[in-house]
Amino acid sequence: MNGRTYRMNRLKLESPLHLMLVPGVVLTLIYHYGPMFGVVMAFQNFEPLLGFVYSEWIGFENFRYVFHMPDFIDVMWNTLVISVFKIIFGLAVPLMLALLLNEIMKDRFKRLVQTSIFLPFFLSWTVLGGVVLEIFSLKGPINALLSAVGIDPVMFMGSNAWFPAILVGTDVWKGMGYNMIIFLAAMTAINPSLYEAAEVDGAGRWKQMLHITLPGMAPMIILLCTLSIGNVLNAGFEQILILYNPTVYESGDVIDTFVYRLGIFSQQYAPAAAVGLFKSAISLILVSVSYYLAYRYSNYRIF
Amino acid sequence: MRRNILNIVFIIVFMFVSVALAACGGKSEGGASPADTAAEQEAGEPSNEADASNAVESEAAAEPADPLGKYAETVTVNEVLGFGPPEDPKTPKDITPETNGFVKDLRDMLNIEIKYMWTVPSSQFEQKFSLAVASGDLPDVMTVDMRQFEKFADQGILADLTVAYEKYASPALREYMESDGGFAMKAMTKDGKLLGIPGFQDPFLSTQILWIRTDWLKQLNLEPPKTMDDVEKIAEAFVKNDPDQDGKDDTYGLALNKELFFWGFDARGFFNGFGSYPKSWIKDAEGKLVAGEIQSETKQALAKLQSWYANGILDPEFALKDSDKTVEDIVAGKVGISYGEWWYPNWPLNLNREKEPNAEWKPYVIPGVDGPGKSLVPSLRLSRITAAHKDFAHPEAAIKMLNFYIEMDGNREYKEKTKAENGYVYNWFEPRIYNPDEFETTYRVVNEALNAGQETIEQDGPNAKGIADVFEAGKKVLDGTGTIKDWGLYYSRGAKDGGWGLTRQIRDSGDVVRDEFYGTPTDTMVKHGAQLEKMMNETFTEIIMGASVDKFDEYVKSWKALGGDQITKEVNEWYEANAVKP
Repeated sequence: MNGRTYRMNRLKLESPLHLMLVPGVVLTLIYHYGPMFGVVMAFQNFEPLLGFVYSEWIGFENFRYVFHMPDFIDVMWNTLVISVFKIIFGLAVPLMLALLLNEIMKDRFKRLVQTSIFLPFFLSWTVLGGVVLEIFSLKGPINALLSAVGIDPVMFMGSNAWFPAILVGTDVWKGMGYNMIIFLAAMTAINPSLYEAAEVDGAGRWKQMLHITLPGMAPMIILLCTLSIGNVLNAGFEQILILYNPTVYESGDVIDTFVYRLGIFSQQYAPAAAVGLFKSAISLILVSVSYYLAYRYSNYRIF
Repeated sequence: MRRNILNIVFIIVFMFVSVALAACGGKSEGGASPADTAAEQEAGEPSNEADASNAVESEAAAEPADPLGKYAETVTVNEVLGFGPPEDPKTPKDITPETNGFVKDLRDMLNIEIKYMWTVPSSQFEQKFSLAVASGDLPDVMTVDMRQFEKFADQGILADLTVAYEKYASPALREYMESDGGFAMKAMTKDGKLLGIPGFQDPFLSTQILWIRTDWLKQLNLEPPKTMDDVEKIAEAFVKNDPDQDGKDDTYGLALNKELFFWGFDARGFFNGFGSYPKSWIKDAEGKLVAGEIQSETKQALAKLQSWYANGILDPEFALKDSDKTVEDIVAGKVGISYGEWWYPNWPLNLNREKEPNAEWKPYVIPGVDGPGKSLVPSLRLSRITAAHKDFAHPEAAIKMLNFYIEMDGNREYKEKTKAENGYVYNWFEPRIYNPDEFETTYRVVNEALNAGQETIEQDGPNAKGIADVFEAGKKVLDGTGTIKDWGLYYSRGAKDGGWGLTRQIRDSGDVVRDEFYGTPTDTMVKHGAQLEKMMNETFTEIIMGASVDKFDEYVKSWKALGGDQITKEVNEWYEANAVKP
């Protein structure tokens, strides 16, 4: 059988699969690629009534304007601090949870814990925001606990020291179930005979984790790290929009909320689009670099 | 990476949607930058039929003509229309804008034939209209917003309606226009030419009043407040003396939410009491317009709020609450003082009374430092402007069409006929206009009928149903059979000591301060407005929550440097050039 007929056969065999792919591709083109042409407004003096076609072209004026706004540096800094901590804890905490859960022998208990950790992932910030505000309010359970041990109540949601920590903490709490499941899945892929061999060699639980589980999961950990580096400029729009207030603008105003106020309240669509484009350009660079590094140093390819 | 693409896509889609929404809403305060070179270059080519308007002018010296007189020869009016589905589901399915009952009647009664140059769903209207403007293809009679009006007026493409109005305006239309002393009409007049007929609302609808739980006042043997000190005493008592008598320390003094200057449950009335008018442009001693938020009175108000915060009169967490949460407190009976507008009894005070039937709320004039304070009132609450193209031979047709709409909308003899099932779709008809004095009319008619002890009300004219509803509600409240819903309706619109009842007293007394700026946002406002507003919210909230009051001076300095001075300059230029001066 020569290569050509082989390929023909394969195409014939796989054509139903390709057909099934079509709706997804079409939807992606329409809803993800089509609207991307809207980025042109980042380079225009965009007027909604005139649309993309008739608005005036002004080059990089929008970018210059935004970067020179006095708030921009603060906003950038807040974004980086919040998202870097979110990334670090968002990976470390689920990893620890997964390792701990892995040690639990009782299957039913393990599943129960797993599910309850996963649960908040499915709730939206609109719902959780109310819960968080309530929990950390002056009359909430945390402050009740503090006053029980004789500590003055703290206005957590109105304090620039606490607010970023609460953002990171609640975000990790909400999202940890997801990464934990991925880590757990990675663990099941490790060959059990390795553990048996280690046991025979006299390795305890701790040594097994250190020398078998963690190295076995390394590709997955690197993968998740790589993917999250692309998110460095996403500090979590929905969460912050719901939780923040004027007293914590100083520590909680991030690029996305900034763009939101710029675009929606001041109707400056073009500068808002410019910031969005800038963000994506940075993310693209970061993802490319980290992808390359992951490939270079652990020979791991995502695509 | 996909997540990031999703993000751009999201932002862009979001913008599309919000643009579309803004377009649907027929925005009155357009915000985007006004540069529109294409339109300016191409619009308004003079055409040959321009002389016709002179002909009208020469007859005009004559006495007023019949507002609904029928033309001898059919007059064709080119219009454009953005239309949504008919509001009433009973509308016959085969009705189109061309076969709309109003359009037919207009032809029969006035011999005016509406010809649509194009019709589009209303979501696409703004864009399509702008393109039409850019290509100079304007309709004869059109409905525009303030931004478009200013632009068209500058380009000189609007017809002078002065004569047409003088000659043809019906008594009802005249009454509408004179309800604000002719201010809105003057705002539409450029170089002595009336270029548009304004559809507006009574600006006094936004008058600030102070709503207080009077059952709590009685409980604690307190008098209603006359000065700011009185408010302070009452608020303090509401915090400390357990006004709801449940033995729990669960009440606070003044309802506020994290937006200090919002549309309700906020601090506007409080600041107004100190003679401070943030987010508005008031006249200073020299007659220049100045920004209310940077005046020294604002500092005093902030200092007072700070002391109230320290004394526990405010909710310690007001800065974390959105208005929904604050409303929850009002409904739950946790707070008994709230600054706001006339409509509170209709929502949310009615909800509070549903939970606590003994609760009583009454409005008072906002107290000032020593004596009554002056609320801020906007100069203009403009929604739609009817204008005619300067090349249109019959500008008076625009006035006649407005007369026609008022007649059809209000007259009882047409009530049966213009029902939706007969093919009448009001929101497919342009131009339309509504009574700016609707609330005052309702109040007057209802109170006349109640005073006369009438059993039923026989009101004719626009909003007859609304008036009858308030009358019914009032009758029931007064004989003690009213529900809480009746109370809400009557105490917001009808009662002498209710929301509108008090507001109209303030209106008649004239003891208010005007927001003098009613133009479209200036260039620098568009550019730096969001940032200045963020700075204001941040600084004011910090000061109230305990930061040094002197932070205010720093704020004023930054405000000026970061665009505020430029905005002030632009606003004053606008005022010199465009504003209506008494």
